[in-house]
Amino acid sequence: MAKQLAFYVDISSCTGCKACQIACKDKSNLPPGVRWRRVFQYEGGEWVEQAGQMIPSDVYAYFVSSACMHCENPLCLEVCPAAAISKREDGIVLIDQDKCIGCRYCSWACPYGAPQFDEDAGVMTKCNFCYDLVDQGERPACVDACPYRALDFGPLDELRQKHGDFAGPAPLPDPSITHPAVVYNPNNVTKSAGDASGHLMNLEEL
Amino acid sequence: MNARDWALIAFTIMTQMSVGSLLVLGVVHYYASRKAGMEEADRLSDRSLLAIVVVLALAMVASLFHLGNPLNAPRAVTNLATSWLSWEILLGVIFAVVVAVFALMQWRKIGTFGLRNIIAWIAALLGLALVYSQSRIYMLVSQPAWNTLATPILFFTTTLLLGSLAMGAAFVANYAYVQRKEPGCADAQCELMRGALRWIAIASISLVGVELIVYPLYLGYLASNGSVAASSAKSMVGPFGLIFAARLILAFLGAGVFGVFLYQNATSAGKEKILGYLAYSAFVIVLVSEVMGRFLFYATSYRIGV
Repeated sequence: MAKQLAFYVDISSCTGCKACQIACKDKSNLPPGVRWRRVFQYEGGEWVEQAGQMIPSDVYAYFVSSACMHCENPLCLEVCPAAAISKREDGIVLIDQDKCIGCRYCSWACPYGAPQFDEDAGVMTKCNFCYDLVDQGERPACVDACPYRALDFGPLDELRQKHGDFAGPAPLPDPSITHPAVVYNPNNVTKSAGDASGHLMNLEEL
Repeated sequence: MNARDWALIAFTIMTQMSVGSLLVLGVVHYYASRKAGMEEADRLSDRSLLAIVVVLALAMVASLFHLGNPLNAPRAVTNLATSWLSWEILLGVIFAVVVAVFALMQWRKIGTFGLRNIIAWIAALLGLALVYSQSRIYMLVSQPAWNTLATPILFFTTTLLLGSLAMGAAFVANYAYVQRKEPGCADAQCELMRGALRWIAIASISLVGVELIVYPLYLGYLASNGSVAASSAKSMVGPFGLIFAARLILAFLGAGVFGVFLYQNATSAGKEKILGYLAYSAFVIVLVSEVMGRFLFYATSYRIGV
């Protein structure tokens, strides 16, 4: 059996430029409102008063580029009543639009917001790992587009060997829910899933 | 909330009302036949049975408006292995077919009573399974406000409450019709209708009691069960507070206060006219309340994650 493919995201290199998000939209010709890859800006911390002066204290911000996690336990696939979602040998989770009934149940189940509704087509869409490119030995569009080399992809076990197994930076959900095929390299302020100290910023860009 | 979400509200409310109506009708028919014989019992309930078939058909049509791609609708039953939604659609379709067959047999008196009885029991069990599968759809680990026991409890309460009051209204309408068309049987029918309405009143008062107990417990549970669940509780009493208050007040008014009036006016003969107004208004008020409740169910659930 082929090895589960996964994305690698280096939070410590990411500047939040969203080139990956745009490359993704461009490559798959996504309609307005549909964003298979999204870059979350998570920030928190406060200014504190010291000796009558306000000084920056624990203020932090970082970016989390995220798409479909092609989970090892994909809830979307489990709940889809039309059996329109499948997982390939190499772990890529795909929606078959010809089978989709457009009930949007998968979007209620997925904690990563990966399945998104295409209003015009009336069906769900989702990151497909650029499987057409991957099958030809090329790289996904987002990986190719990153000017900071913060994105990579490969077999999950190899990525884990190289970069560790951290898969749950805030604001993403607890990875134990769906076992996402992803590895994140945190920076020194990255919080873990479930953190309540920060909040998402620039929601209109998501 | 857009048209597709409202289609879901209409579908779930109408299927649950149909299931509840069938159950209530079965119980009422059983006691009516023991009290006044099969013929009078059939006269009381047969027309209401047809009303259930009509509501079920409307529910099926409404469900299609929820889909972005209704042409693929038949595919909705292809993942029975892991999707409760597949079970809901399968059970919904089978329930509707069995109820329609039963209604036709009952209407035309096809087959023996024993056979029709068996089919009615099958329909009732299918209906219960349907509402159960419907509640399981929402019990997703990623939707903390739905993933609680309150979902099946409130779904079954809605089922029985709407079923009771819908049948109350149907009996009153049936009686008015019988009085006009078959005056000979009006006395026996009046007696049966009043008896049924007394029990419907008692059921409604009890069921609204369940709702008024479950909601505070539910809100308390949400408030203390993680930030996403807490935000559901907050929006229920905050931005949606007016709708939530109206939903509870209308349920109390329609099922509780009108229930008491309904019971009082059904104890003695001669108050059929006021009984009619009461049964109709109780049904309409509770229907509005339950639709608001279902609206809140969808509007105040938040998914975990991003």
